Amino acid sequence: MIGKEKILNTLDSILKKSKADQAEAVYLGGESGLTRFANSTIHQNVFEVNSRVYFRAALGKKIGVAVTNSFTKNDLKKALSDAIEIARNQKENPYFPGLPAKSKVLNPNTYFKKTAEFTPIQRAEEVKKIFDQAKVHNLTVAGSFSTGEAEIAVVNTFGVACYQPLTSSFINIVVMGDNSSGYADCLSRDVDDIKVDQLTQIAIQKCLDSKDPKGLEPGEYDVVLEPSAVAALLEWMNYIGFGSKPFQEGTSFLSNRIGQKIMGENVTIYDDGNDQTAIAFPFDFEGVPKQKVTLIEKGVAKGVVYDSISAHKDKVKSTGHALTPDSADGALALNIFVQAGGASLDKMIGSVERGLLITRFHYINGLLDTTNALLTGMTRDGTFWIENGKVKHGVKNLRFTESMLKAFSNVAQISQDRKIINSWWGDVGCVVAPAMLVKNFKFTGKTEF
Amino acid sequence: MEDKIKETIDYLKKKKVDYADLRHQKTNVEDIKVKNGNVEALSRRDDQGFGVRVIANGAWGFAASSICTQAEMKRVARQAIQIAQASALTKKENVKLSETEVHQGKYESQYSMDPFGVPIDKKIGLLLNACEIMIKNQKIKVAEGSMEFFKTDKIFASTEGALIKQSILESGAGITATAVDGAEAQRRSYPNSHRGDYASRGYEFVEEMNLLENAERIREEAVQLLSAEPLPEMETTIIISGNQMALQVHESCGHPTELDRVLGTEISLAGGSFLSLDKLNKLRYGSEKVTITADATLAGGLGSFGYDDEGIKAQRVDLVKNGLFVGYQTSRETALVLNQKSNGTMRADGWNRIPLIRMTNINLEPGEWELEDLIKDTKSGLFLDMNKSWSIDDKRLNFQFGVEACWEIKDGKKGKMFKNAIYTGITPEFWNNCDAVCNRRHWHIWGVPNCGKGEPMQIMRVAHGTSPTRFRNIKVGVSK
Repeated sequence: MIGKEKILNTLDSILKKSKADQAEAVYLGGESGLTRFANSTIHQNVFEVNSRVYFRAALGKKIGVAVTNSFTKNDLKKALSDAIEIARNQKENPYFPGLPAKSKVLNPNTYFKKTAEFTPIQRAEEVKKIFDQAKVHNLTVAGSFSTGEAEIAVVNTFGVACYQPLTSSFINIVVMGDNSSGYADCLSRDVDDIKVDQLTQIAIQKCLDSKDPKGLEPGEYDVVLEPSAVAALLEWMNYIGFGSKPFQEGTSFLSNRIGQKIMGENVTIYDDGNDQTAIAFPFDFEGVPKQKVTLIEKGVAKGVVYDSISAHKDKVKSTGHALTPDSADGALALNIFVQAGGASLDKMIGSVERGLLITRFHYINGLLDTTNALLTGMTRDGTFWIENGKVKHGVKNLRFTESMLKAFSNVAQISQDRKIINSWWGDVGCVVAPAMLVKNFKFTGKTEF
Repeated sequence: MEDKIKETIDYLKKKKVDYADLRHQKTNVEDIKVKNGNVEALSRRDDQGFGVRVIANGAWGFAASSICTQAEMKRVARQAIQIAQASALTKKENVKLSETEVHQGKYESQYSMDPFGVPIDKKIGLLLNACEIMIKNQKIKVAEGSMEFFKTDKIFASTEGALIKQSILESGAGITATAVDGAEAQRRSYPNSHRGDYASRGYEFVEEMNLLENAERIREEAVQLLSAEPLPEMETTIIISGNQMALQVHESCGHPTELDRVLGTEISLAGGSFLSLDKLNKLRYGSEKVTITADATLAGGLGSFGYDDEGIKAQRVDLVKNGLFVGYQTSRETALVLNQKSNGTMRADGWNRIPLIRMTNINLEPGEWELEDLIKDTKSGLFLDMNKSWSIDDKRLNFQFGVEACWEIKDGKKGKMFKNAIYTGITPEFWNNCDAVCNRRHWHIWGVPNCGKGEPMQIMRVAHGTSPTRFRNIKVGVSK
């Protein structure tokens, strides 16, 4: 960790000497360790120290970006000089509104000393507890446990100087039997939130309960989706629909549908990077403060998230959702919340006459028909048959192919409890998802295990 | 740099580790994306650092840093040893590596034109010209193109005495036209979807693509798709284009033959494999027409190199021979399970990651058919072209692929177009339904630049040599 003063002062001094009309530096750096295990032994155990500095230089509306992973002054100067040289050879971007001005940014607590100082030995000791508990049942374990600290800073020539230190910890546990498996995970900025014993018991129980799974023919079933399964759907819905780029290009399921009812009245989805109950991060990679953005309100399409360039195109303000300067993916919602309902997981299961309980999904893809939010994927690590309100037995994994506009229109119940689920965008966000009971969810294929 | 590396290796030897290697890697990347007449992204990235991998106390440890000083190298070496000691807390037995020939070698990929030396405006100009052609139909809402270039210099040294230097240049490019009409969006890409085609070659590879010559065709096909019927559900004969076959091979043969997956070490993320050890040399994976190789020695493939990241020389091995499953992709550690030596497939996507078993060039070897004759020989069926979506279960059995475009084949002729076409199957059943593979004239090594595996996630560049291939009795169109 380099520290706030040194990062901001170094980047500011480099930018001040810039010959660009406007310039910006984004710093991402830190130290992280990950202990990976399989067959109840640690087989990969890694640690890295790394940083990356992105320079964005503008000459008029010509923009160049250069990136270095060195923090020496000479390399930083060279990277900025490269960015200017690239800008000089660029075409004008008519949508570039200029770099953002300084704004007030919140200061959430995103750093926990114990997480930062968690050692490989401590991770190994926690992991060993998992192995020991699984061994009692003659089960084996795979998974990973990561802890780390990082710093993110954004500085520009208009006075933006944002800095935020953070920590993160994540564990995933897959307990394996002869013909079944069970899963549990936990994501938190504070490693003390990771209750290894509880998580292990959940994964073990799922593995035991799904032993000797029975085959089931594809078709439409009522499904109780646990939070991990709901979050996996939302990750893809975000990628194909909640960002400004697919929205403006007409490929999002929200394109041309703002104000229309596209989901059930009980469904509200929003992004809130300042909610400290989850993985808060207060500004985006342009240094713009995160705004709370309602994406779906009571089933009605409300809006998408923006960075400064895409916002300028639509004549609105950035919502604080820019990605790193080298990205052409526009804005992305990084802190997605599904509004809680009033049900409990047990109540949901109890209300299902014939249906399925799904722990999580595997390998979802949503690129086939994005305007209808058509997703496909497999169930994994704990799929169960529910009959007359009771979980009866494990079921061999199934493939779903379903429009999320239809699925989220058929939500019968939403749980009060929500869970923080790890996502593609790691340290700066998550999906906060409840469990959901969805009627008539379509399965189109099956597999052999 | 070489002296610092040697000194660190000597330092590790003095620490009496069971084994250690150090890999220093420097990568330069240039990334260009244009859209609708504008340059959306233009960036250069310089990245360097080193990683130290050790076996100490019979267990693995790895540490990496971007600070390439001698002092930091020794600190990281000590840290890797400490991490290995932590790993040893749960070990069941000591990690062992299969024997290998120790190399002191050099490898440089071949190219004619260094893409980093080509003027930026020339590269941008080519993409903008392609976009200008694609945007001419008003139904085209997005006309986009991209180029990406990588130059990687690696030095690998081990306590066994290996010292290997490699320099690899890779280039990629592609264009896509997206047509939109109300709530309908369809796209066509060239030469492949998901950012195009890639190779371990120079800018000459991009120039040979003929992007401009294909821009008008994909524009019109994207627009045609808007009014095409969705593919109805049925079981039929399909001919799959070479580029889609690349992903078919990738997902249903490449990943399941990775021996680390088979042994369960990737369970926590991507899953395992149905190709368990008892199936080796017994399972009829496919029909007699199906021969699949892993060949890192091919010229120009994105999975080509001189040595893997354990210092093993590049090799060509059979995975499936005339339909019989005969081999895995292996590492020094996993090969011991088979009483074999590594066949050299361990690669890391950067200095800060450990090497994993990664696909090299995994190829469906060419058959004897001309594509024209294969279509003529098909009384009723479909021609499916270019990947749009992909999904497969965590043992690589049940897969579903979506393609950008699909044409009916009736009485040996390509007919009307269908949109939103998908096909699905169970891997060995599917490959056993293969009855024809097109010949070398139609065979191409497709670069796949975005293969994900591992925790922390690693994105690897791999490749697949494939040609159009025919399968019987395949379930299609089950999405609605």
